[in-house]
Amino acid sequence: MHCSMSKRIWVLLLPVLLATTFILSGCEEDEALKPTERFFVNDFADVIKPEDEDTIYSQGVGLQEKTGAQVVAVTVKSLDDQDIRDFGVALGREWGLGEEDKNNGVLLLMALDERKISIEVGYGLEGGLTDIETGIILDTYAIPYLKNNDYSTGIQKAYSAIVNEVYIEYGLEPEEGYTPAEEIRNRDEDEENIGSFFGAIVPIILILILIAVFSSRGGRRGGPPFIFMGGRGGFGGGNFRGGSGGSFGGFSGGGGSFGGGGSSRGF
Amino acid sequence: MKKSTGIILGIIGTFFLLVIIIVGWGVSTYNGIVSAETTVDEKSSAVRADLQRRSDLIPNLVETVKGYAKHEEQIFTELADARAKLSGAQTVAEQEAANTEISSALSRLLVIVENYPDLKANQNFINLQTQLEGTENRIKVSRLDYNKAVKDYNIRLRRFPSSIIAGMFGFEKADMFEGEEGIESVPNISF
Repeated sequence: MHCSMSKRIWVLLLPVLLATTFILSGCEEDEALKPTERFFVNDFADVIKPEDEDTIYSQGVGLQEKTGAQVVAVTVKSLDDQDIRDFGVALGREWGLGEEDKNNGVLLLMALDERKISIEVGYGLEGGLTDIETGIILDTYAIPYLKNNDYSTGIQKAYSAIVNEVYIEYGLEPEEGYTPAEEIRNRDEDEENIGSFFGAIVPIILILILIAVFSSRGGRRGGPPFIFMGGRGGFGGGNFRGGSGGSFGGFSGGGGSFGGGGSSRGF
Repeated sequence: MKKSTGIILGIIGTFFLLVIIIVGWGVSTYNGIVSAETTVDEKSSAVRADLQRRSDLIPNLVETVKGYAKHEEQIFTELADARAKLSGAQTVAEQEAANTEISSALSRLLVIVENYPDLKANQNFINLQTQLEGTENRIKVSRLDYNKAVKDYNIRLRRFPSSIIAGMFGFEKADMFEGEEGIESVPNISF
């Protein structure tokens, strides 16, 4: 008798308990940040101009179609007392940026109230996009604009720089006129010891010229390719907008993970 | 006669079936614990690798700072000592102690650097600082991953009935890193 009573209570309680847990977990998910329809650009702080959003979106689509890598831009108004890097890693993991087996996602995150910007790099791209390079991208392309409150341009430029770096990492050509972060880095560091730079480079060039002169009998093909290297390419902003019309809004994270690579700056 | 043989066979059959089920459960539980333990080890060496990575940045950093601040000898010695301790650390506790020393020496170094505007503007130094920040972030992340793995493993050891298997084979509880919080949860923010 007693047993069946308590059993009945359980039968009554169980659905209630289940419903409660369901509602509770549902609530939690509502509060978490969800990607927008245009997966690659999520302007929660509402600072990016529509045309820049279009550029970012089409570059993101183009990059994913060519490489599978995902670069996602997010702006938020406030981080609610969290560190921007912590926030970035958690968000990148939650959204699963990049492919699951390659972890080739990158998150560009800006917080308006805190005036901070960061780049989080997925495990798989840490080699191609080092912390230093992400720092250089922020310093070169984002900070000058962000300082003048031109958030839209800063984010768009930094985004395109990241996309170009990923193209380079995948052995594809970057946009015309793009200066790789590594080059900027070498230039900056060389400015500090330019003497030793020439000291090392000049003999190498001389030796190469000598080798070229002495071995030029059997047909010459060396020169031109170097000169025409930058000529092709042109992964321009709007170029791919039409091409992916069918899959608008159809992008989502592939399950990639993040391990804390990247850098952040205040502005 | 026939009937009782059937019953006996039935009992024996059920007994063997039960044994098979129990053994099967035991084996899979055991394997589950072992793989959880392996994950803990894996994550622990990831933490160690990240700590080492930070430690490896220090010589370059010191070299760059020395170019501008030669006479700050004391801090350079402290950093070198702390590094030596880290590489000599045998236990997790020693590793933690050495790491705390490195952290505090590094933060003091960065305070000193404030007095040298030229150094702060030096591109090499900026790059090193970026790397340091990235590495510290990686340490944070790998520690959290480690803690998560430890949690999963410890739960297996304590929760009934897998605790029986854990007790039988003498698995030991793993320790978490303290004071690393904040990024386990999904960011909840208002916008």
